[in-house]
Amino acid sequence: MKFWGVRLLSFVLAFGFVYGLDVVTQTAFPNLYRLAVLAGLYVTLAVSLNLINGITGQFSIGHAAFYMIGAYAAGFVSQHMYASQPLGPVLWLVVMMAVGAVFAAIAGIVVGLPSLRLRGDYLAIVTLGFGEIMRIVVQNVDPLGGAYGLNVKPFGEPPKILWLVWLLAVLCIAVCRNLLKTSHGLPFIAVREDEVASAAMGVKTSSVKVTAFVIGSAFAGAAGALLAHSETFISPDTFKMDVSFIILTMVVLGGTGSITGSIMAAVALFAIPEWLRTMQVMIPGSSIVAGILAVGIMVSGFRWVQNNYHESVSKRIGAYLACVVGAAVAAVVLSFVLAFIPQLAQQRLDVAMLRMVIFSMVLIILMLLRPQGVFAHHEFSWDWLSKVLRARKGVTA
Amino acid sequence: MLEIDNLDVYYGAIQALNGVTLNVQEGEVVSIIGSNGAGKSTLLRTVSGLNRPREGAIRFKGSEIQGTAPDKIVRMGISQSPEGRRIFTNMTVQENLQLGAFTRTDNEIQSDMEKVMDKFPRIRERLKQSAGTLSGGEQQMLAICRALMSRPKLLLLDEPSMGLAPNLVTEIFNIIGELHKDGVTILLVEQNANRALEIADRAYVLETGHIVLEGNGRDLLTNPKVKEAYLGG
Ligand SMILES: Nc1ncnc2c1ncn2[C@@H]1O[C@H](COP(=O)(O)OP(=O)(O)OP(=O)(O)O)[C@@H](O)[C@H]1O
Ligand SMILES: [Mg+2]
Repeated sequence: MKFWGVRLLSFVLAFGFVYGLDVVTQTAFPNLYRLAVLAGLYVTLAVSLNLINGITGQFSIGHAAFYMIGAYAAGFVSQHMYASQPLGPVLWLVVMMAVGAVFAAIAGIVVGLPSLRLRGDYLAIVTLGFGEIMRIVVQNVDPLGGAYGLNVKPFGEPPKILWLVWLLAVLCIAVCRNLLKTSHGLPFIAVREDEVASAAMGVKTSSVKVTAFVIGSAFAGAAGALLAHSETFISPDTFKMDVSFIILTMVVLGGTGSITGSIMAAVALFAIPEWLRTMQVMIPGSSIVAGILAVGIMVSGFRWVQNNYHESVSKRIGAYLACVVGAAVAAVVLSFVLAFIPQLAQQRLDVAMLRMVIFSMVLIILMLLRPQGVFAHHEFSWDWLSKVLRARKGVTA
Repeated sequence: MLEIDNLDVYYGAIQALNGVTLNVQEGEVVSIIGSNGAGKSTLLRTVSGLNRPREGAIRFKGSEIQGTAPDKIVRMGISQSPEGRRIFTNMTVQENLQLGAFTRTDNEIQSDMEKVMDKFPRIRERLKQSAGTLSGGEQQMLAICRALMSRPKLLLLDEPSMGLAPNLVTEIFNIIGELHKDGVTILLVEQNANRALEIADRAYVLETGHIVLEGNGRDLLTNPKVKEAYLGG
């Protein structure tokens, strides 16, 4: 009783939260609405890939394939059948999520099966290949719109489904969190930790791996279904390899295995390039070069502190700050000096154009300074936070 | 209880076991000694279903189990504490024990956990600790506890004394003795031939995939060939 009470309450709260998010975004930030939808989809994608890669320890790098299969399956069905059935838009979207999830889950089984025989890099290649093959197949199937793409406008107007997108994300997070925190998840983590030992304990490692693939790809498929309806148009180009890589990057950067990390990284990695895209600031080439050099100085400083400076936490934070200040000073000085080189100073570039450069630099820096990912395999919880804070105090005291 | 008949196991083209025949009776401790690469671990892994034999039969309580999936074999009552312990280091001690009982659905898991920890008080003290922070000896104890959690009728132990200080080796062997007294049937693989033969009802000597000697533990301890090859002269 208590169990279901808690479940019901959390569901009501989550529903209230996502619905509030939708309303607030619509009224206060209408031009962010689409981005908030996409961010929510990326959260679902990253958290569901984290189930396969982080929690179960497989190495799948073709997650966009399941996203695409869900999008096309739901989009095609929706476009052809919505008019001839009685459901309203919301219920219909829920059914379409299920359609996307089922098709993607079937694909998940197909890809999950080789994972029983393949490990690491080999599995990665299979998943990547699968994604590309599916994309090229879709490109050549005319009923799906071929290379041109598929319109998904069953309701005429694009539906306002920010709340549904985030509800899916919350559901995905809840499923993964429950796996991590209850004994249901033990076999998944056991397979990640040591496959042979798990098998020796009687864990059916093969069905655990396939289950992870099925759940992970089903969520990606449901996300795809929502994408198709909110964008009202999908094409094979929407699901190119770089989408897979971005999702993988989110998982690795957040800390493989950490749900919190995947969520944070999904929002951040999606938001940073989008935010940079809106920056219409022209910067002279000399300042860009100075900036890159200064970042290099800062990262070297950080690395030095990490490796050689073993004082108390507060002193280390001071040392890091010193690196930041030093780098800032270097940036200013260098951009003055470099401004004397006319070829550099006259070449002006838009921040929006530089966004992929900045994005990659952020990734490189984080991987240099924290290869285990921002959250490593930790989860955010109040317990954890208070433990960290207490540990900090303990060190400084 | 366990009968192994003419077992051949290969890794690709390499033959690791060649016509191995042995048996373990209910309630016995049977030791297998042999030098590095003799095929001891291969034998235990094959009994557990982690390797498939090319030829030969393994019978457990009368039914043939060669080639059966490892989880079914655990359910039938054979569990293993593998070579190198292989505990789940990023999990807590308690979670390791829960995984040991993974195949069980009865409601006595908790009380069994208590019983196992009565035997290993050090494990009880560290129940909530991450298993990777245990000392080598404690990890070995945890591996044995974990194997016991499935309520095995036959317990397979692969080099439980590996890498342990002499006093811990004594402790581990005392525990094996106690388990024996409680009536657990044990198939023990060891490099520490002295201890393994002392504790065994019967023992086999394995050399490059062949059984070259068998007999009761005491007799093998005084056997000149064994003395020369495994007991340091
Ligand atoms: N996975 C494997 N692939 C190929 N050959 C293997 C594999 N595992 C074991 N072997 C080979 O099979 C033979 C028997 O190995 P096994 O591990 O059973 O020996 P062991 O008696 O347990 O040795 P140790 O005392 O060192 O643990 C060895 O020659 C080994 O090299
Ligand atoms: Mg061995």
